Amino acid sequence: MRLALYVTCLVDLMRPAIGFASLRLLEEAGCEVVVPPGQTCCGQPAWSAGNRPLARDLAKKAIAELEGYDYVVIPSGSCSDQIRNVYPQLLADDPAWAARAQAVAACSYELSCFLKDVLQAEVVPGEFAGSVTYHDSCKGLRGLGIKAQPRALLGKVRGLMLAEMPDCEECCGFGGAFAVRFGDVSTAIVDRKCEAIAAVGADAVVGGDLGCLLNIEGRLRRRGDNRTQVLHLAEVLAGLAPQ
Amino acid sequence: MKAAVHSQAMHFQARAGVQVANKGLQKALEKAKPLFVGKRAKGIAGLAEDGLGFEELRSTCEAIRRRVVDDLDVWLEIFEERARASGAEVLWARDGDEIRRHVIDIARRHGVTKAVKSKSMLSEEARLNEALSAAGIRPVETDLGEYIIQLAGEAPSHIIAPAVHKTIGEVEALFAKEHGRPAGTRTSADIPAMAREARAVLRQHFLSAEMGISGANFLIAESGSAALVTNEGNGRMVTTLPRVHVVITGIEKIVPTLEDFATLMRLLPRSATGQSISNYVSLLTGTRGANETEGPEKTVFILVDNGRAALAGSDFSDMLRCIRCGACMNHCPVYFSLGGHAYGWVYPGPMGSVLTPLYTGIENALDLPHASTGCNQCGSVCPVNIPLPALMHRLREIQDERGLRPRHERFALRAWGWLAARPGLYRLLTRRAARYLRWLADDSGRIRVLGLAPGWSDGRDLPAPPGQTFHELYAARKRA
Ligand code: SF4
Repeated sequence: MRLALYVTCLVDLMRPAIGFASLRLLEEAGCEVVVPPGQTCCGQPAWSAGNRPLARDLAKKAIAELEGYDYVVIPSGSCSDQIRNVYPQLLADDPAWAARAQAVAACSYELSCFLKDVLQAEVVPGEFAGSVTYHDSCKGLRGLGIKAQPRALLGKVRGLMLAEMPDCEECCGFGGAFAVRFGDVSTAIVDRKCEAIAAVGADAVVGGDLGCLLNIEGRLRRRGDNRTQVLHLAEVLAGLAPQ
Repeated sequence: MKAAVHSQAMHFQARAGVQVANKGLQKALEKAKPLFVGKRAKGIAGLAEDGLGFEELRSTCEAIRRRVVDDLDVWLEIFEERARASGAEVLWARDGDEIRRHVIDIARRHGVTKAVKSKSMLSEEARLNEALSAAGIRPVETDLGEYIIQLAGEAPSHIIAPAVHKTIGEVEALFAKEHGRPAGTRTSADIPAMAREARAVLRQHFLSAEMGISGANFLIAESGSAALVTNEGNGRMVTTLPRVHVVITGIEKIVPTLEDFATLMRLLPRSATGQSISNYVSLLTGTRGANETEGPEKTVFILVDNGRAALAGSDFSDMLRCIRCGACMNHCPVYFSLGGHAYGWVYPGPMGSVLTPLYTGIENALDLPHASTGCNQCGSVCPVNIPLPALMHRLREIQDERGLRPRHERFALRAWGWLAARPGLYRLLTRRAARYLRWLADDSGRIRVLGLAPGWSDGRDLPAPPGQTFHELYAARKRA
């Protein structure tokens, strides 16, 4: 099985470890993993800003790079949502691209969905001595129905204890440009998330979207919580979490 | 029409900042949120007892509302004919101005000096109270929440809980002043007593007012009736005691049959307050009959467009399905950080972020469609399946198409897009950016001040990157 890993622009710039953790998980599961070299960004910022022409251009670029693999795997719910749900509608009226967009969308999976639903992974390499709580990022949860998969996978990590925080499905207030444009509103929202995290008192918060994780970690630290680790699901599953 | 609308929506960002810092408001909202969310969750879970599933039921409700919105003119004609046949008068209003003119005109013809009102958001769209007062007619709000904010001289901050932003202490101060008694210390245990106090005052108004003004939750085409869904009983008083009853409602509020109404009622109270049915459900048809002892002598429907007709058949026709339950704002992280006043016009929360630009001018509410994290907590609870984030997104696109976004923003986006289309250059610059961000970090690996994005770093640190990009490290690994 030959698959393309789409690392996402945020992982590329802010936390390469997530990309390497994803590689490890996929390779250890026996997949042949290619990192398409021209990949940059899926175009979500343009789409969210309302710039349809730019979002289309970047969608076409990504589609051309991601065609021809058995699967495309993405360690992010929101970028997966963009490729799976937005690309087909964005290019629906373009005869040269509509079918191509649909084909790529159909074989694209968020990492935990791929591991659980496609590979039906029974073992993961990770080990984690401690408790973690899982934050459901919005696009993954409400756009792709990601809920059971990450929890099932975390359940296979040796030593790990899963403790649910209150309101784990509540938005963390990130929202891409929203966090910068309406910084104070975003801060008020992430404060509620921080309180939920404090209430459960886990050793680490785990999530599947780096944007949300940067937001949560940034606010936890600013509030003076230097103890709670903030980790991407791939890092924990692959055993590459700094502990 | 649009120029006459008094909207503060242009100042969303500034108002949002003030509201986030308002401690009393934050306290009130913190209390209300779990109540709203918890009650709805219970109410929806209760559907199972009746053998109903939420998704199925909301598809049915969506279909009922779609049927109306697709043929609005036809249903309106049927309603008009049936309402007239039952003895009511039907008037049409294009905008707030016409609402005001109609109401004042009716009041003058019937010698009205006081009008008791039950909740009507259309009356807010028209700023009716102001106009009535100016015409020498005293408007008295009788919904407890509306009564409170009328005393405070404020606008509603929520479509079903207009005074949700008020703390009990604030209400006590208002009551003491209005009712001419010393203020005391109050806890939530005193709420029933405070409600009784307000009721005693309101009773006098119910008995002396010559006119009652209400909204309608639905207009039922087959019977020409208005349906009113309330919890306090004030709606009954307003619509039956005074000589004249004026119903002001939007043209989109029609449902074809009583059975459709019954179906929608399975979800409306559950979505709003979690109740399986509200305390009062009234169906008001025509005027007092020859041998009846109750009801108004004169009933007038004012059916209002105010921007609605233009939505039919547009990209935004989904919005016309809205049944004003408030669930979208009750589940909105942005709404619960700000309350309703920050939104600047009549409707707050996600539905307001769609309606305010559409009804008051897209160029007059530029922030609202962007004031969303895109979480879709709203869309997932909406009882008529309105894709609120998609509608906000469409408004963002229209802003972009019309060149309404700030120039620096458009430039930054275009520059970034140009770069993202050129992988070679993109790699070079992201490598630089990774190093720069690493350099900005302190010893603990955090960036505390981000000159480029102060909105971010005013409230939180940025965990610093390691200094090399994934693609850089991956290329090195492959070479090795
Ligand atoms: S948009 Fe939907 S959830 Fe919001 S008030 Fe209208 S019907 Fe209720």
